[in-house]
Amino acid sequence: MKIVKLKKENLFPFLESLSKEADLWAPVQKYENKHSFQLIKDFSQIDLKYTRTILPPKKLFLPPTFNMFLATEQGYEEDFSHVTKKILFGIHPCDIHGLLILDRFFQHVFDDPYYSKARQNTLILGHSCWPDENCMCKSTNTHIIEEGYDLFFSELETAYLVWIGSSEGDDCIRIKPGIFDEDITDEDIQIYIKWHNERDKAFQVDINFIAMPDLMELKYENPLWEKLGDACLACGSCSNVCPTCNCYNVLDKPLLNKYASEIGRCWDACTLESYSEVAGGENFREKRAQRLKLWYTHKLQAYISKYGKPACVGCGRCASTCPVDINVQTVAKALEGKDMDTFWNRLSKEVTK
Amino acid sequence: MKKDKLKIGIYELTGCAGCALLILDCENELVDIFQAADIQSFLMAKSDNIDGELDIALVEGSVSTEKDIEELMDIRKRAEIVVAIGLCSMVGGIQGRFCDEKEWKENFKKVYGDIEMTHTKPVQSKPIDAYIKVDYYLPGCPIGKEQFLNFFTRMLRGNPPERYPQPVCVECKYNENDCLLKKGILCLGPLTSGGCGAICINHNLPCVGCWGPVEGGNWISEYYLLKEKGFDDELIKNKMANFSGTKIAEVSEQLRK
Repeated sequence: MKIVKLKKENLFPFLESLSKEADLWAPVQKYENKHSFQLIKDFSQIDLKYTRTILPPKKLFLPPTFNMFLATEQGYEEDFSHVTKKILFGIHPCDIHGLLILDRFFQHVFDDPYYSKARQNTLILGHSCWPDENCMCKSTNTHIIEEGYDLFFSELETAYLVWIGSSEGDDCIRIKPGIFDEDITDEDIQIYIKWHNERDKAFQVDINFIAMPDLMELKYENPLWEKLGDACLACGSCSNVCPTCNCYNVLDKPLLNKYASEIGRCWDACTLESYSEVAGGENFREKRAQRLKLWYTHKLQAYISKYGKPACVGCGRCASTCPVDINVQTVAKALEGKDMDTFWNRLSKEVTK
Repeated sequence: MKKDKLKIGIYELTGCAGCALLILDCENELVDIFQAADIQSFLMAKSDNIDGELDIALVEGSVSTEKDIEELMDIRKRAEIVVAIGLCSMVGGIQGRFCDEKEWKENFKKVYGDIEMTHTKPVQSKPIDAYIKVDYYLPGCPIGKEQFLNFFTRMLRGNPPERYPQPVCVECKYNENDCLLKKGILCLGPLTSGGCGAICINHNLPCVGCWGPVEGGNWISEYYLLKEKGFDDELIKNKMANFSGTKIAEVSEQLRK
């Protein structure tokens, strides 16, 4: 792996030459302190001081809704219109880890062409970050990244240290020869080490994820789940904003003027009541508590047991999204037996009054 | 061999007629609609209406008079499939928000006085399934164009229509909106049937619940959440009741406990 240096003032010119070949997507402020990966037309829109986007980068590979194919009497015509050549710039380590987990779901046993084609056509240009109170990536060990990117930009004071992670990444830096400097000084290295140490100290959340499978098992029948179920608004947002949630639903949209149907696909969420409904109207998980238990079993137990790490990359999106304080951080702490001032705890006191 | 065209009737009971108008507003598809099916009755669109046997009856509006009841009973007798379209028909609509009979009588008197209705007798506004068996429901206030066309085409092909069991929040997140409820704004997204594309929240306006209550909405939790955010008890209940018709009856019952 090679590391080069890029002066800050050369970043936009570099991105500009890259974006001649592909659509550039980067974080943009959408609301006050809320960001979104957007197609960049104007470089001044890019906001690299962001912490997290509302939706994770999965939206670029499998959009929330899209058409998979047109089914006709003769057969079917695949629709890959969501696949375009893209450069995803500014993605943080946790989200790159999220994509690596999605790769496992969509590529390892059966290949999902809608995901894979979009993935193959996207360059991943990562960017370093700074944690806020919801970031849990140090606990999930996803605060650093060693694979899954083409280039990774670590921000120093006046320059970036740029890790080259793939041959495509190596091709990129050759687009504008001369702006990448191979001569990294001792001072640069010291600044980088200092930044790294300071960032390590800036994390405010510490969760022992490796203990979670056991705690989930021990507390499977705990009244905690009923409390969470009583508060859950069943809105599905935790799943939609999660970078590793990957469930989807398939919908037929018959055309009125032609004997054919568009077969669409949309994100689904196991926290929604309709998710576990089967033909005949039966529902495996009618209660919100059962559905939350399933969600957390997946994130905190099943995946850790199988792959040795959680299906949570610590991005903190569930924490900054759920209106009733149900998120990986609060649930993990509750499983550890910590008493917290959360809406679901207050609601349970209110209702039993 | 092609089967005969489906015989369809579109009927309006008490409501704003917005759902029927929405069907007429499918301008690019109207010719296809009228070619694909035999529209037997559609008061807003044509004058030579026939009240005969039907494959499908689409009923808009709530039941608020004895005349509505008679008409509805007659539709049910003639139609193989009855579909409630729109909020009024599904849950009673804005006019169906008072579920307490005593309260309804008082309100009626307050508005109309002691007037004696001669052509028909008013009754408390109710959804059509308070009187007849309903086969399918198409939510909305008014119904959505895309949902209607999807529903219509599925029925033509002999498929059951899609259900809309997801709250507004799902499409709201698809659109990457910032959660208004989280910001302390009285938004009814989690309690409301989706399908609208979260259009209000896309424009930074909170959901008022116009598509009607979603199956499995957690009213109690949202009620306490809004209370905690400082909203007045009466305001929350009124907002919740606006588009919930008879549904709010159970919720009020739970909240009283």
